[in-house]
Amino acid sequence: MNKTLRRLRPWTWSRRLCAAGFLALLLVAARGGPPWIVGSPNGTELLGLVPFTDPLVALEVGLASRTWMGTVALGAGLTLGLALLLGPVFCGWLCPLGLLLDLAGAPRRALERWLPRRRLPELRFPREIKVGLLLGALAFSLVRRAPVFAALSPIQGVARVLLFGVEAALWVVAGLVLLELVAPRVWCRSLCPLGALYGAVGRRGLLRVRIDPERAGQIRCQRCELACPMGLRVMSDFSLRGAAFVDHPDCTRCGACTEICPNEVLRLGVREAGGRDG
Amino acid sequence: MKAQGPHPNAEPDSTPPRPTRRGLYALVGLAGGAALGAWSLGASSSGIGHRAHRLRPPGALDEPDFLAACIRCGRCVEACPSGTLALTGLEAGLDCGTPTLEPREVPCELCAGEESLLCIDSCPSDALGPVEDLRAIRMGVAIIDRSLCFSWQGTVCRACWHACPFPDGAIQLDWRTRPEVLAEACIGCGLCVRACLTEDTSIAVVSQADFVPGQSTSTGEGAAL
Repeated sequence: MNKTLRRLRPWTWSRRLCAAGFLALLLVAARGGPPWIVGSPNGTELLGLVPFTDPLVALEVGLASRTWMGTVALGAGLTLGLALLLGPVFCGWLCPLGLLLDLAGAPRRALERWLPRRRLPELRFPREIKVGLLLGALAFSLVRRAPVFAALSPIQGVARVLLFGVEAALWVVAGLVLLELVAPRVWCRSLCPLGALYGAVGRRGLLRVRIDPERAGQIRCQRCELACPMGLRVMSDFSLRGAAFVDHPDCTRCGACTEICPNEVLRLGVREAGGRDG
Repeated sequence: MKAQGPHPNAEPDSTPPRPTRRGLYALVGLAGGAALGAWSLGASSSGIGHRAHRLRPPGALDEPDFLAACIRCGRCVEACPSGTLALTGLEAGLDCGTPTLEPREVPCELCAGEESLLCIDSCPSDALGPVEDLRAIRMGVAIIDRSLCFSWQGTVCRACWHACPFPDGAIQLDWRTRPEVLAEACIGCGLCVRACLTEDTSIAVVSQADFVPGQSTSTGEGAAL
């Protein structure tokens, strides 16, 4: 990727456009427009034919209802299959809450650019909390027969506010947006049980942030780590340790680190046939 | 440049902590989730006042099975041509995001003019199941508050009877044109509730689970609804 093009941050903007387009199509269908994508993040239908189901919602509903529901299962198979094939791309490329938090982080990022050390203090929480929430949600659904994430997910909350005018969800979403000032992406990094599921399934997906072993370590600017929305230590934990790609369940393949990398160590791309990375 | 070890700005965050520590963090998540679950249970058992169950779209499973099977995607709400269905909000706790209706505002018009019931067609789960016949729908049962009803108070009205999709089936008039609901035939669409002319409705729909046989004949029972 040449430097001028990279400065335009093509991955970031195509990602935002993709997520905004998804939300816009849902809105269009909800307002009586052409039904290209009907539904909401919990469950959508593409072109009146292909169902997609939030895989965590599908698991919960399966455990809670103890019945096999064909359309729900097919929809979850498709979303999980996509994650298995490419990686947890839903998070960066489609999630409406991800898009909102991404945009909500703009004031903080602007402030950081202006500061001499380019860094504001931030609150961080352990990433493992979301795994506990995932297991808890599944156990709760099984025991109480109530799909708790399906009901309370703030991802769905964004859709409820925009698509259905359910105002109560606004408070949760507004809270997460405000949190963005002190704890960037705390939902995505530490709390989102759906992200935990997608990460576990999609960790080895074929779309990867690949590390060029020749160039790794030549410049230790660490900009990738400041750019990573998930707060991964891309340089210290992966490129300096000789990893072939950023092998972390929380890497959403957003490409932010590849755009910022001045030495072109990092590239977002599909793993080559034959299993070679880099 | 010869940086050894982590960069001064680096925070010990994405390095995997020791397994015991990770388990502990996951436990924190579990505990937090349990607290949230407990709250939402409380919300779902209290926030709906005296009416124990919400009204659900046609073809809905029995309430516990419905709540377990509904994926809360809202497609039934989008499909509804009459704008009858709405999603519950956070005040509903674990029932949040499920479809419900308020027949005094907008009753279920049974997709008049459509070939099938569109909410059922749109449902990707088993929460709304097919119904063979409109008469087989059981969204609830209408009950009449005779202390308010014009006809029972001596004025000829018949608004509910005119609105009923099954006049003389679900709502019958006696020789003094006083309405009676036949619980076995009533599908709970609520068209009568919207049509009712009294200021506070004197006919209301309660869910099957809340219906007590004989309720419609006793005076004043439905007043609070």
